[in-house]
Amino acid sequence: MNNIFTLLKLEIKDTGLGNFRVKDYKSWFKLVMYAGVVVAFFFFALFASKIYFSMFKTAGIAYEALIIFFSVVFALLTITGTSGTIKVLYFKSDNEILIRYPLTGNEIFTSKILFLLIRQIITTILILIPFLYGYTQIETVNKAFMYRAPLVVIFMVLITFCLSNVLAIPVMHLTNKIRNKFILIIISLAIIVMALFAGYMMLFNKMVVYMKEQDFSVFDQEIVNKIEMASRYLYPKAFADLLTGEKLYMAYPFLLIPTGVGIALTFLIVETLYFKTLLINVEIEGSAFKRKTRNTVRPVFFTLLNKEFIQVFRSVNYSFQYFVLACAMPGMVFFSNSIVQTLARQQSGERMTFGVTLLVMMVFTTIITSFAATTVSREGHSFYLTKTAPVKIRLQLFAKFTMYFIVSFLANSISLVVIAGAKQMSVNYALITFVIVQLNSISLTLIAMRTDIDKPAFNLVGDGGEIQNNNVNTTRAVTTGMLVSLLLGMLGMIFGAQLKLIILVIFSLTMLGFIYAILRYEINLRKKYYSINN
Amino acid sequence: MLEIEHLYKKYRNSERFSVEDLSLTLEKGEIFGFLGQNGAGKSTTIKCLTGIYPFTSGTIRICGYDISKDPILAKMNMGYVPDNHAVYEKLTGREFVNYTADIYKVNKRNRAERFDKYVEQFKLTHAVDMQIKSYSHGMKQKICVIAALIHNPKLWVLDEPMMGLDHQSMIEILKRMNEHCEEGNTVFFSSHNLDLVAKVCDRAAIIKDGKLQCVIDLKIPENKKTLEEQFVKITSSNDSKSEEDLALEKLVKDKFEDR
Repeated sequence: MNNIFTLLKLEIKDTGLGNFRVKDYKSWFKLVMYAGVVVAFFFFALFASKIYFSMFKTAGIAYEALIIFFSVVFALLTITGTSGTIKVLYFKSDNEILIRYPLTGNEIFTSKILFLLIRQIITTILILIPFLYGYTQIETVNKAFMYRAPLVVIFMVLITFCLSNVLAIPVMHLTNKIRNKFILIIISLAIIVMALFAGYMMLFNKMVVYMKEQDFSVFDQEIVNKIEMASRYLYPKAFADLLTGEKLYMAYPFLLIPTGVGIALTFLIVETLYFKTLLINVEIEGSAFKRKTRNTVRPVFFTLLNKEFIQVFRSVNYSFQYFVLACAMPGMVFFSNSIVQTLARQQSGERMTFGVTLLVMMVFTTIITSFAATTVSREGHSFYLTKTAPVKIRLQLFAKFTMYFIVSFLANSISLVVIAGAKQMSVNYALITFVIVQLNSISLTLIAMRTDIDKPAFNLVGDGGEIQNNNVNTTRAVTTGMLVSLLLGMLGMIFGAQLKLIILVIFSLTMLGFIYAILRYEINLRKKYYSINN
Repeated sequence: MLEIEHLYKKYRNSERFSVEDLSLTLEKGEIFGFLGQNGAGKSTTIKCLTGIYPFTSGTIRICGYDISKDPILAKMNMGYVPDNHAVYEKLTGREFVNYTADIYKVNKRNRAERFDKYVEQFKLTHAVDMQIKSYSHGMKQKICVIAALIHNPKLWVLDEPMMGLDHQSMIEILKRMNEHCEEGNTVFFSSHNLDLVAKVCDRAAIIKDGKLQCVIDLKIPENKKTLEEQFVKITSSNDSKSEEDLALEKLVKDKFEDR
């Protein structure tokens, strides 16, 4: 039992939350920050839930809205639960260390599963409480609602948790099968990101429209009928039934049976499959794909570019941040732009179109260019090798810059075609917006690259010594980009009535930023680059 | 082939010199061993001469090219095998070697010839098209060696090359070192293995606390025999002798007296 708690403590410490020290002011600061985020989330979720439920109530389908809400939460918890289970139980780097110790598979499993369960309970409570409270503010509920709410939380935690555990192994095997099919992963992720974003933006649009016209339903009768029909057949209806006391004779068996079966299946997995799967995965972690290539001779610049591309392309974390978002950017720009423009036009006519489009494109371009803030950091130990190459520093960095430039240029160009094609803007203004965004994108890339050269954040553990996720430089790059986006976007929106003048002002500011970025990048570049690792 | 003159290196936040007034000259066609305890300054010296670290003062010339003033030409004449087998792990072995060959501008015929030869010599044929990520420690070391040799460098620098290698691979690397020198090139490597250095090197230098203590001519048979004794004598000075040092010294003394 002691082993289990020691392992559980290790697991919690690993999240960064378990390092609290009473006498350390940083610990208290962190705690207050976390508490602040939780409180802010609660009030935001409460606000959103009130709009959401009242929007459906106006259409006479508040109860159906509750079923849809439970369905979304159920799907979300199952997806995050499955992903968490795969990461913590099967693919965590400490598994290789733990199985060397005199610990049983059951002890490792129990500690990790307790950690996952605690996480699932916290996530479920954080999501359900504000929304259920929001529901009581919109709909009249009886006293039993309050008593049954904890029961709903318990069932939601247990069923999604057990389902995640059961799904984890097949999903993981599927992941293992496609883990080296990088193009497939990137395309699939881009489609999923775009679809989720489109869904989110459509709901957001409906909610904003409803906020303006609260007396009218935002759904037509056909949609209402469809929602009523579909919600009857959704499994999470059982949660809504239990909560509101509807058809309890159906709700209890529908919740109790899956809970019992889920718990039994989870135990069965512990006994039969867990340790075996763990060993297989430790082996798979070290395995990699095979690709036969020819001994192609390339000019130095192209070989550097090719190496950069492969390094990023074959790292799922980086590919997601970079290529997936770049692929999804035109679609996301289109959706956001059409919704924000519709709203802006209703408020202030055509004059905000330029500012809104500029803001939207700049925000997405910021996310993509922030990747340049890992220019040096992501090389980890291999940076030694890069430094010994008989190639001028500027050429090495130019190859990296070219990759960033190609990606942002393509994403911005396609966004330009989409915006102009969808007539969200005239071709001339779309071109001007494109030039401004592209110039800013170059500036942000250069600043991000130099920030990383000045103070790279190497994380010399893990896969090839490369950094696993974003670092402090990425955060700086995103913050800078967002501030620039807001400044330029707001200027465009506020002074949109004098469009030609404000375009001139924004272009001048962009040029100033561009010159600053080049100087910031160039000055002392060689010296700084050579002093890395010194 | 390699000239180091009065090299000083101090790290940014350090109060002492990691390398202090080190001067060395390596001749064409020799295998040179670089010896020292952990933290003596071997890797720092190597990182300075490969251009990884800037240095405080002094001169390093490779084939006559100053590493500070003509880094590209100096590096072009050098092949380097790092101690931490750092490689671009997402690339396959072949992609990595081709990348290196492109960087060093090796033509198609030479690269194909050398690639096939070394891959076979180091028994990596089965793994060369697999991602380096999946390689074992020894395999990574071997692919680093192949990449370092693909441009047939005049100076081949290896930092602790035998660490973690199996016996057969060690023999292959030693064989390659000898062949490389016979072709008129120079090999410079750091090691903790005194027997190995005594066996294969023409000369060896011992470094302690960043200072060069001596250069030993190992072509003289007597020096080969006494290398271990000399190393222990130099590296364990009287003022810092611990019980363990004294015990080790006695053990070595006894061993040599027996001979």
